[in-house]
Amino acid sequence: MGATEKRMEQLGIVLQQTDWRGKGAAEAVFADDMLYFSAHYPVDEKGKPVYVGRVGAEIDEETAYKAARLCGLNMLRTLQAYIGSLDRVDYFVKALCLVNSAGDFYNMPPVMNGFSDLMVEVFGRRGQHARAAMGAYVLEGNMPVCVDAIIKVRR
Amino acid sequence: MSTIHRIWENGCETVQRFQKYKPLIPIREAGGIVYVSGHGPEDINTYEPLCRGRIGEELTPEEGYQAAAECAKTLLRAVQERYGSLDCIRHMVRALALVNCGRDFENPEKVAEGFSDTCMEILQERGRHARTVMGTRNMPNRNIPVEVEMIFVLSDKYRDRKRCEDFTL
Repeated sequence: MGATEKRMEQLGIVLQQTDWRGKGAAEAVFADDMLYFSAHYPVDEKGKPVYVGRVGAEIDEETAYKAARLCGLNMLRTLQAYIGSLDRVDYFVKALCLVNSAGDFYNMPPVMNGFSDLMVEVFGRRGQHARAAMGAYVLEGNMPVCVDAIIKVRR
Repeated sequence: MSTIHRIWENGCETVQRFQKYKPLIPIREAGGIVYVSGHGPEDINTYEPLCRGRIGEELTPEEGYQAAAECAKTLLRAVQERYGSLDCIRHMVRALALVNCGRDFENPEKVAEGFSDTCMEILQERGRHARTVMGTRNMPNRNIPVEVEMIFVLSDKYRDRKRCEDFTL
């Protein structure tokens, strides 16, 4: 305990402890010049799910493609909030794409092209990335897709 | 010791040459960024899981939350063992949480919150991280409920100190 804290104890001043619960997950975190994104979902500005259901059951492949594109748009919005101008994006490194798949759905890559196509449209070659697309059993709020990514940012 | 690695020299059994070799190490550093293997809610010494089962079937979401909190403790314990102190974490970067879900359970992020909350309690603002949560159906170690892997940035003070040990496998 430092001298100042001791003094405060003598004075009987008690500071309220910060409650860190529920604040653990940020939308994105920098590690030097790499920006790591949390999973982004197909939600609207208020965080309400736009698409709900499993791909291959309630949601078909084309709708899921649109949902993946919406994930990408949400990611771009986060990105803009974090780095100001999208010109500062050096290149995309890696994306992990999860598809909430029904029992017999195996076409994850075409679905996730919704995300990848958007990034290439926006950034050109800088938007190309390594990608893993994978079927998940459950995603948050039963949404059909989610995407996280790692990008390199110019200083 | 498996028989295949026994070497007899002049009638005496020698020490197994590759005794330290393991295909998997829990922690690897690359360029100041540390990658920690996936850890479940396990006993630190025996790797015996503290609980088993799917959330929404055998376990309730609250038990899942507790299991995720245990994951954070196991993970941070592994880091502490490797570097001597949790001061080595400059800040956390990313966590990937796998949640073993039952058929109608739709809130894996509520379970993963247990991991994040514990990290925040221990590391405070250094514990903030990007998080991906995924519901799966089958998990290792006879069906543990949660597994979390993470990436963090190493403090400059701790860089290179342990690097040579990494290559003595």
